[in-house]
Amino acid sequence: MDRRCLLVIGAGILLRLVLFTAFPSLPTTLAQRVEISTPVTSYKRLQEGIYLYTHGVSPYDGGVFHQAPLLLSLFSILPPSAIVTNILYVLADLLSAVSLVKIASSGVATVTPQHVSPRKDNSWPPWATAAAFLFNPFSIATCIARPTIVFTNCIVLHAVAAAVQGRRAPAFVSLAMASYLSLYPILLFPPLLLLTYDCSKTSPKPSIQAFSAVTTVLFSTVLMIYFKLSHLLTGSWEFVASTYGVHLLLPDLTPNVGLWWYFFIEMFDSFRAFFLCLFQLHLLIYVPGICLRLRKQPLFALITLVGISSIFKSYPAVGDTGLYLSLLALYNHVFATMRYSFFLAAAVLYATFLGPAFYYLWVYAGSGNANFFYAITLVWSIVNALIVADALYAVLRDEHETERPELIGKDVVQI
Amino acid sequence: MALRVPVNLRKNLSVVLYAFQALSVAAVIIGLASLLLLPLDEYSRRTYISENALLPGQVHAYFGGSEQNIVRAFRKEVAELGNSTSDVVAFRMAEIFRSAGLKVGQQKYSYKAAGGEYTGENVYAVLHAPRGDATEAIVLCAPWKNIDHILNEGGVALTLALSRYFKRWSLWSKDIIFLISADARAGPQAWVDAYHDLHGANVQSLSVKSGAIQGVVVVDHPGPYHRFESLHIMYDGINGQLPNLDLINTAVQISRDQMQLRTDLQEMWHHEDTYRHRLRTMLRGMVNQALGHSTGPHSSFIPYHIDAITLATHGDGWHDEMSLGRTVESVFRSLNNLLEHFHQSFFFYLLMAPKRFVSIGTYLPSAMLLAVGLTLTAIRLWIDPRSRSSTDDGQAVVKNAGEKGGDEKKKQTGDQAATIPKPIDGGPKRELFLPLSVVIGVHFCGVIPFAVFNTVDYKSMANVFYIFIAASFVLPMILATLIALTTPPRRLMQTFHLSRCFSLLFLGMFLSTLATLNFSLSFLIGLFSLPLTFARATPTSTPIALMNSILLQLTSPFAALFAVAGYWGLGVEDVLREASFGWWVWGMWTPAIVWCVWWPAWVVARVSVDASFVMAATGKVPVGA
Repeated sequence: MDRRCLLVIGAGILLRLVLFTAFPSLPTTLAQRVEISTPVTSYKRLQEGIYLYTHGVSPYDGGVFHQAPLLLSLFSILPPSAIVTNILYVLADLLSAVSLVKIASSGVATVTPQHVSPRKDNSWPPWATAAAFLFNPFSIATCIARPTIVFTNCIVLHAVAAAVQGRRAPAFVSLAMASYLSLYPILLFPPLLLLTYDCSKTSPKPSIQAFSAVTTVLFSTVLMIYFKLSHLLTGSWEFVASTYGVHLLLPDLTPNVGLWWYFFIEMFDSFRAFFLCLFQLHLLIYVPGICLRLRKQPLFALITLVGISSIFKSYPAVGDTGLYLSLLALYNHVFATMRYSFFLAAAVLYATFLGPAFYYLWVYAGSGNANFFYAITLVWSIVNALIVADALYAVLRDEHETERPELIGKDVVQI
Repeated sequence: MALRVPVNLRKNLSVVLYAFQALSVAAVIIGLASLLLLPLDEYSRRTYISENALLPGQVHAYFGGSEQNIVRAFRKEVAELGNSTSDVVAFRMAEIFRSAGLKVGQQKYSYKAAGGEYTGENVYAVLHAPRGDATEAIVLCAPWKNIDHILNEGGVALTLALSRYFKRWSLWSKDIIFLISADARAGPQAWVDAYHDLHGANVQSLSVKSGAIQGVVVVDHPGPYHRFESLHIMYDGINGQLPNLDLINTAVQISRDQMQLRTDLQEMWHHEDTYRHRLRTMLRGMVNQALGHSTGPHSSFIPYHIDAITLATHGDGWHDEMSLGRTVESVFRSLNNLLEHFHQSFFFYLLMAPKRFVSIGTYLPSAMLLAVGLTLTAIRLWIDPRSRSSTDDGQAVVKNAGEKGGDEKKKQTGDQAATIPKPIDGGPKRELFLPLSVVIGVHFCGVIPFAVFNTVDYKSMANVFYIFIAASFVLPMILATLIALTTPPRRLMQTFHLSRCFSLLFLGMFLSTLATLNFSLSFLIGLFSLPLTFARATPTSTPIALMNSILLQLTSPFAALFAVAGYWGLGVEDVLREASFGWWVWGMWTPAIVWCVWWPAWVVARVSVDASFVMAATGKVPVGA
């Protein structure tokens, strides 16, 4: 890590601390935004859970708290002061930035065993990637609002950082933790497996089958340990239904930036089970296809899956998109081949400003209705989907040009 | 089989550029023209009562006869208290309400803004509904002094008389709150804030409360005893929010059809329902909405999603306060009928005559088209080849790519260079850092005037304003000089080009968001910002630059401020005091939007234009100019 990295990280941390101290009411204001806090990550609900837990009541009574029990134990051993909590969140972002620097320095984004990007000299230095995360408005807002997704993001990034260094155990212990905290990171298991395998430095490389078998056993054992710990902490298995059940069955229809809430408000009850299965399967079907097609660049497969789940998961927030965009910055060398970059950047900006405006019209001014906000979440999701698709196009084109250098600079024409 | 485009648009950019230019000009022209079409019969609609429960004018109003003597007695009482302090008035009013058998509350408040202090004491009484459960309430409000600081003799007397009169009826299903606020601007705000427990330490809490407020009617009948000619209905809320159209329609229908009272809107006293009068009513409404200020005590209620109007008397005619009282009674009977909160009719509309309006679907496109015109210009500037740095040979390209990489990596080794004859994506590049930091930096600078004008004292307001005008004149010059002197000529034009592009993109985005919240403000800022689409850096032609510069000065936020001041015949410091008062008391956003959205966009445009003079003066001719 060079001086510039330290400078950028220092500035990012300072910015967060300044925001926390200069605007004491900002965390509460942001924590109430549905775009940032969801029922499964909200800090307010976490406090409710901690209160119940420390008073000897099951935190899942009352149906407000939907987060993992280990978070409760973490927060209940912390002194109950806002400053300590804020510092914890800032530290999580610090760790995320360090992980991003590690991933960027490893150069996996440009050079993998199967693929060397012809554009590898164009890529940004690691400090720029860290800056793309630390000064991303979505990441900043998420850190200040203190949803627990900050920890999930941090752990996912840590897992990837361990994977690019070929350290299997830390990578999968972290991924198990991320999946334990918010379920959907489990989708990243296959690409992370491929990434770790590609980057592992053990001299006689084991076969991929043996490698994946051992990793799966490791991953599930760690997950079991987390579950058992949670069981010991809360004294019952109630938490499984109250956390993962909520992710899967969507009982809480609070609006968010995703596509689910409106759809399931409008749904007739008889179709609910069917569409729940359909929506969850829809997320699942991307995994094999993307892992196979992007076998040469497993890191990009992982990033694409992060992007897809940030659009289609049951309770998404801007923090998920922030994670995806920060990870996407690792592939900055292919940005030049993206076709709609300006349009997409402008559309993200538009949606970011129109979303709160329409929510205000609906909930506060009372002059709009739910359709206003839903229309913007649709735009937001479409734009994010287009970003995922355009980045995928750019990377595939990059791959294609290594195979066929004579096509460099030629236009793609649809016939 | 997909259709093949005969011309490759990526290669023939000029086609696309012209198309974008034509589209943005067309968007602006259509946007403006469509606004002027709105008053026509084909585009506007007649108003109608959408909520069936209201049944306006279906009941007989009994207020009259001997009640007139009571009103006159109260009027005398009010006139005697005319010069008393606020607490004496509140004490006496509370006594009167208490003698009518109502629960009474009093509330002191004090606001500080622009170096002045605004204090007073509100007094109010709650009539519990004989048939209700205290979950809903309607408010009858009379400010002690109206918005023009004239003693509201008739209005207060009528409110006192109506409080006794309403108490006798057994048909109320909603609580009725009688509010006498100390003034028309800060008092209602203090009261409604405290009613919803959202007040600061400078405002007392309310001792007595009722249910959710469903509607508010303010009566404003100022001055010593006189008969009046027509009712002036005021409806603009803070930040350009409007009450539900059903409430206005109810008041219009009752006063016109039941009471034979003429109704006026937006101070149009001689409305003949012609195109010209409709247009003028609409434009006056738009100016009020754009300024987002309070036009009466009702304005403070509207941000709380409480529908409110002011009924003010005007002129000299044959109606007396009994007509006003019966109108209020009938409106209250309609409000009493409501089964749920106003929701049926429109919340976004422009009224052009008491019985004619356009709804959001018809008028929104015009503001949106202006914003779209700005955005299209931004897109055109982006795809314009001039947004990329001009390069003469491949050598510069390699150097460029190296710079972009930030750290000086070793360039390709010989064999790589052989397989790859020229660097990939090595064509002309857009240098985003400088333009983006200029645009974002200037936007952050907008906080400075906003903070300064909200804290500075009224006495020094004018001086600070003139200093700020001078600063805004110099700042773009300095920025332009700095950029022109430090940037290599190869990237000079590109920097100005891209900063305009981002600035227009941001402005278009802010304005389209604003159009959904406050249509008129968005439209007016869009209108004033039109020169921003063509004011550019023209180092080869000083006359054009001079013309652009003058145009920009004429459409600056300062010019708009002077225009607003001239419109009301006030000094510019009065307008600024109003803005500061609005921010601290009402939570009015207009100053924030002017200084943090409009002013930065204007400064960035000025930077480009001033750069033409700087380049012409220094003789630094950019490549590709």
